[in-house]
Amino acid sequence: MPTIRGIYDFPGPVAEAATKLKNRGFSDLEIYSPCAFPELDSVLDEKPSGVRVWTLIGGLIGVVTGYSVAIWMALDWPIMVGGKPFASIPPYTIIGFELTILFGGIATLLGLLVVGGLPYGKFGEMDKAYSPRFSADEIGLVVSCSERDVAEVDALLRATAAKEVDLVEA
Amino acid sequence: MTPPPAMSVADTMRPPPEPPDSKINEDLLSVMYHRLSPGYLLLLGATILSVVAAGGTWVYQVYIGLGIGGYTHPVFWGAYLITFVFWVGIAHAGTLISAILYLFRAKWRNAINRGAEAMTVFAVLTAAQFLGIHVGRMWKSYFILPYPNQRGLWTNFKSPLEWDTFAISTYATIAIVFFFIGLIPDFAIARDRAKGIRKLAYTALSLGWQGTSLQWKSHTRSVLHLSGLATPLVLSVHSVISWDFAMSLVPGWHATIFAPYFVAGAIFSGFAMVLTFFIPLRRIYGLEEYITEYHFDNIARFILLTGWIVTYGYASEYFVAWYSAVEPEQTSFWLRAFGPYWLSTWVMLSCNCIAPQIFWFRWARTTPWILFTVATLVNIGMWFERYVIIITGLSREYEPAVWGVYTPTWAELTLFAGSFGFFAMLFLLSIKVLPIIAITEVKELAIHDKAHGGAH
Repeated sequence: MPTIRGIYDFPGPVAEAATKLKNRGFSDLEIYSPCAFPELDSVLDEKPSGVRVWTLIGGLIGVVTGYSVAIWMALDWPIMVGGKPFASIPPYTIIGFELTILFGGIATLLGLLVVGGLPYGKFGEMDKAYSPRFSADEIGLVVSCSERDVAEVDALLRATAAKEVDLVEA
Repeated sequence: MTPPPAMSVADTMRPPPEPPDSKINEDLLSVMYHRLSPGYLLLLGATILSVVAAGGTWVYQVYIGLGIGGYTHPVFWGAYLITFVFWVGIAHAGTLISAILYLFRAKWRNAINRGAEAMTVFAVLTAAQFLGIHVGRMWKSYFILPYPNQRGLWTNFKSPLEWDTFAISTYATIAIVFFFIGLIPDFAIARDRAKGIRKLAYTALSLGWQGTSLQWKSHTRSVLHLSGLATPLVLSVHSVISWDFAMSLVPGWHATIFAPYFVAGAIFSGFAMVLTFFIPLRRIYGLEEYITEYHFDNIARFILLTGWIVTYGYASEYFVAWYSAVEPEQTSFWLRAFGPYWLSTWVMLSCNCIAPQIFWFRWARTTPWILFTVATLVNIGMWFERYVIIITGLSREYEPAVWGVYTPTWAELTLFAGSFGFFAMLFLLSIKVLPIIAITEVKELAIHDKAHGGAH
């Protein structure tokens, strides 16, 4: 399947081109960019990132672990102090808080790896469409389409201010 | 109509020209590839020497015992613990810049956040060692962790020292995670331009990052979530450390203002340390285009603000001591200013309250040598603040018959100097292997500015 790559300087036209391509029914699109651009955040996938679920679950596991570990250990090794309860919630809130952050943070890292598909491939093995230019200043919009659509995609990319269009895979 | 075959379009396409590299990449990666100057090597050698001296002293201390320190009844928290609190304080600026300023969308942070995050990680690593050094038998430090043991004994979660363990280990972990996540795209930039062993290392560290939309979306979301988690964390860490003192009944320690006052002091000293390292770095590697007067101006404003919060803390302590009509409290504060440790107190007040006042003037906030001088004074003042709190508090408790005078010994001072050596050594090594300025974040601003005709 032919893969066409348009190279851009700015994110605005990339978003415009990708939206037009999506509207015309092209679904196999990829954008490579040197940094995060808000304009490109939801162009290919409008759903919020799944990382948020990881953070939430990690945080919840953390808070439950923090409180339950402290309470269980206080009951398992009871120290009688002035007739007060063995398990004391206010100081254990610190443990609960710390573990919420700890587990939430580690889960966020795992979420980034799983949702973002990292490590990608066999580390150094890049997509054919990837170029070091995309870790310089330029943005790439890559479209896989059938042979009959190549001319249409080429024209659309050029019409949206792509400064170069090339065929990565014929 | 029959569409044209694929190759006919390809034939019309010119071969892509030689990829132009980004000026930002070239400028910021050049710090890593800059020739090792004699000055750099000399400085690195000095830091390694101080670490070796500190390591030797520590081994000697393990052999002889904590008695080589200046501990004397009733002062059993000395320079090691002061140094621990000092470095944890330094560690606060990085996360503040990375997390809190990120949430506030303060874009100026982009040029300095990576270096500050690196300083956070290194400062926490430095601080953590001093807990082990302080307890003497470092290899028994794991006693503080709740692990199953033959006696069925668990740790006491009502103890501030236990809270501290959780706070510091969580902070260190989150700081490292934050630092690493930020570095992934920059490692990919380095990978695409490196050769040999560096290429292998950056390839592994970048985890095959290509900057796809899915990767960036996950990355942006992760940074946002980590910022959300790290913001309360950074405020809590020094609060928890302050409770090591405030939860006790020692005069001068037992104060509810300790948490906010410690947090402000931590940010105050952290920003000062950022200046201490960034001013020479900017000068030596010609980074004036990226770390501008605007950054210095903002950092100096932070120092001025937090300096006033710290000053308010000092004033409040004295006022409450007087107003409480509790004699040991009043005596403790009187002796802080006019007792055997008067010099430490006045150094603290001069460096932390008076020196930053020059930052009311814009010319001072943008003149590197003034910034560097004030930052150094603040670093000194903040170490003395912890000295004043810990030592004057313990040495002048309730019963005059058991008062004592603590003076740090050569061993404690060598280990203290070694802590600076260790921190500086890590910083010096890191600038040669890590992009010390967040390339992708600087680029984000630059491309945005270019797209809008330099409107921002």
